[in-house]
Amino acid sequence: MKIKGGYFFRILDVDLTRGESSVRPFDEAFALQYIGGRGFGARILADHIRKSRKRIDPLGPDNVLVIAPGPLTGTYLPAAGKNSFVTLSPATGIYGDSSMGGVFGVELRQAGYDAVVLRGRAHELSALTIEDDRIKIIPLPEARGMNTLEAESLVREVTGDEDMKIASIGVAGENGAVFSCVNADWSRNAGRIGIGAVMGSKNIKAIAVRGSKDLPVADLKSLVKMAREGYDELKAHEFFRFWQQQGLMSVVDYANTMGILPTRNFQETVFDRADKMNGYTMEERYKIGDSACFGCSMSCGNICLVKEGKYRGTVTEGPEYESAAMLGSNLGASNFAYILKANALCDELGLDTISTGSIVGAVIEGLEKQILSPDDLGGLTLEWGDEEGILSLIEKIARRQGVGGILAGGAREILNRWPGLAGIICHVKGLEQSAYDARGAISMALGYGTSDIGAHHTRAWTVATELENGMEWGLEEKADFVIYHQTVRPLFDMLGVCRLPWIELGFPEEYYQRYYHAVTGVDRPLSELMECSNHIYDLTRAINVRLGISRKDDFPPSRTFDDPVPSGPTRGSVVDRDEYERILEMYYRKRGWDSDGRPPVEL
Amino acid sequence: MQLTVIPERCSGCKICELACSIGRENVNNPKKSRMRVMVLYPHPVIRMPIVCRQCGVPKCGEGCPTHAIYRENGIVRLDEEKCISCNQCITSCPFGAMFLHDDIDLPLKCDLCDGKPFCVEACPKEALKFHPKHILGQAHRLSTARNYAKMSKVEYLDGGQKKIIRYAREKVKKDED
Repeated sequence: MKIKGGYFFRILDVDLTRGESSVRPFDEAFALQYIGGRGFGARILADHIRKSRKRIDPLGPDNVLVIAPGPLTGTYLPAAGKNSFVTLSPATGIYGDSSMGGVFGVELRQAGYDAVVLRGRAHELSALTIEDDRIKIIPLPEARGMNTLEAESLVREVTGDEDMKIASIGVAGENGAVFSCVNADWSRNAGRIGIGAVMGSKNIKAIAVRGSKDLPVADLKSLVKMAREGYDELKAHEFFRFWQQQGLMSVVDYANTMGILPTRNFQETVFDRADKMNGYTMEERYKIGDSACFGCSMSCGNICLVKEGKYRGTVTEGPEYESAAMLGSNLGASNFAYILKANALCDELGLDTISTGSIVGAVIEGLEKQILSPDDLGGLTLEWGDEEGILSLIEKIARRQGVGGILAGGAREILNRWPGLAGIICHVKGLEQSAYDARGAISMALGYGTSDIGAHHTRAWTVATELENGMEWGLEEKADFVIYHQTVRPLFDMLGVCRLPWIELGFPEEYYQRYYHAVTGVDRPLSELMECSNHIYDLTRAINVRLGISRKDDFPPSRTFDDPVPSGPTRGSVVDRDEYERILEMYYRKRGWDSDGRPPVEL
Repeated sequence: MQLTVIPERCSGCKICELACSIGRENVNNPKKSRMRVMVLYPHPVIRMPIVCRQCGVPKCGEGCPTHAIYRENGIVRLDEEKCISCNQCITSCPFGAMFLHDDIDLPLKCDLCDGKPFCVEACPKEALKFHPKHILGQAHRLSTARNYAKMSKVEYLDGGQKKIIRYAREKVKKDED
């Protein structure tokens, strides 16, 4: 056997309909090819789709939800606390994944599993408990309607164990809101693509885990040496202290300065009150502590408390940049206390802050431009920066009350109902765009357009580099850069580590080849690991093609082409449609996909 | 020397647990560490490593039927020969700072790693400190003196920069003196 660590070679398969679970092994070839995390999830999902005779309803019992940490998750290496959730997305109808930090994935690994697969549907609302080899499905009908933290407390009470690590869904997930998330460790979310709704459709309110096992590491001595060097290097970085203080909140100023901060539903890219909602405002008036994911010295989590005013008593871990931008500037709101309230509300109801901010923004713009009327919305009126109105609409979405019932269906359902919003809702493939405007950087537009889960930034966050250094680049270089990002970043999700030491504090990719070597004992060149990652990109594309995705779906939101940026440093910017067609063609060619975007991979 | 905790600085990252389990048990398993980070939310909000304080009167030893717990040179130790794994010490410690694991027969007890605790070295937030005893309380003593409200002050210029010296001296002589 080549592999000497990194895996238990055990996948826990839980059939919720039958109330049974089994453990199945996988072989070394599987581990070498798919590595873990998103890789395992994509392969398991692809196999499931291939074997299925009829089309799978993402919210039906036939969908599977795979929860998979990576081989590096939970080891002493810097920022190795990540875990992927993989499933068919109810928001997009295609492949979806979302990764979560915190401690939950580490606990799952310590319980001795490389992945957990949930199938079917429990007979009533339940909690799944995993305590090493003991698996239970505990009926928990009294949890209906509870928010994520209440559900967590209830599970602690029922199991009598304060120390379990719990991932739970809120009301939004129970109600099948297609952008509902899974929440753990207070404010760590598998935020995007509607994982919460998939869990809710399976009647699983919470998953509670306690694990006790040693994590298999091939060469612990060399791992410790590299980890120490890594931690020392992070600590010595000029931005380390600042990162600990502000974390991702430092991006608010950056995005505003660069002209990419979503403002009033991505109409503008600069917000005149950004200084009211930036990292410094947070630090000075709201921050009460640092929090970190497992094994991470960067502690980018900010615990914030509102100490005065009408939101007094609101306390949450957050916001990070995306939440602050999407619930703040994107809704024309700058009051940081309100942003904290909206962030906490989304976490408790179990809603993705990015999609929530995007959809509420589209509603406000639709009303403003009279594409929607208050009558369409059951009498609702809403304006930019209307804090109370926004908070109340967020509640309605999660509870599917009134117009909330339509909005909870996400971009696709909203456009079915109100096709006139087509130029207003910023989405790709049904997933709402993250908090970076792409009009000034065509590579970012290509990243959104070709991301396998829809308009999310984690696959290719190229906007900063293009705006800072890439203005002279040709389209070929930009297409290459997108593919490079789409290769490295998913590799992190496969290994189970966070990408922030790399993208923010300068860790070279080569470190991860060495980390993988120390943990698994397998010495493979980085290029080979990148090939594995690229293979997964082909595989998720093959899943999507099978589900009807083609070239026509690989375009950024129409605003990217049609509405020039009105002001600020990116003023006048817009992506040229012909140029986009050309870069997309190059992208396909470089990936070895045909001109309709079909990859050379079968399911 | 005393191992102390500054919970206000702790981020809950558990790197200390990892360093402890690797350093002492040679395994990557935070559940085998001789300390535990408690993370409580949303009320109260606190992250706090629970560590052994090497108590002068070790409560862990009080209920020990075989007198397996003893104190030597300021460190509370477990005599592995005498220990019968009844686990009385675990529940006797008022801080919950002794631990059990299914794979290990004996309770896990911190002994400060021969004077160089792995956890302190690894903490990225300086939330764990290993200080000589005379340092304990020093920060508070210093801040009490520095923050004394009744100090007088004198402003002066130093190379064009305005600076302040504060000092404590009675302004009015009181009658009772």
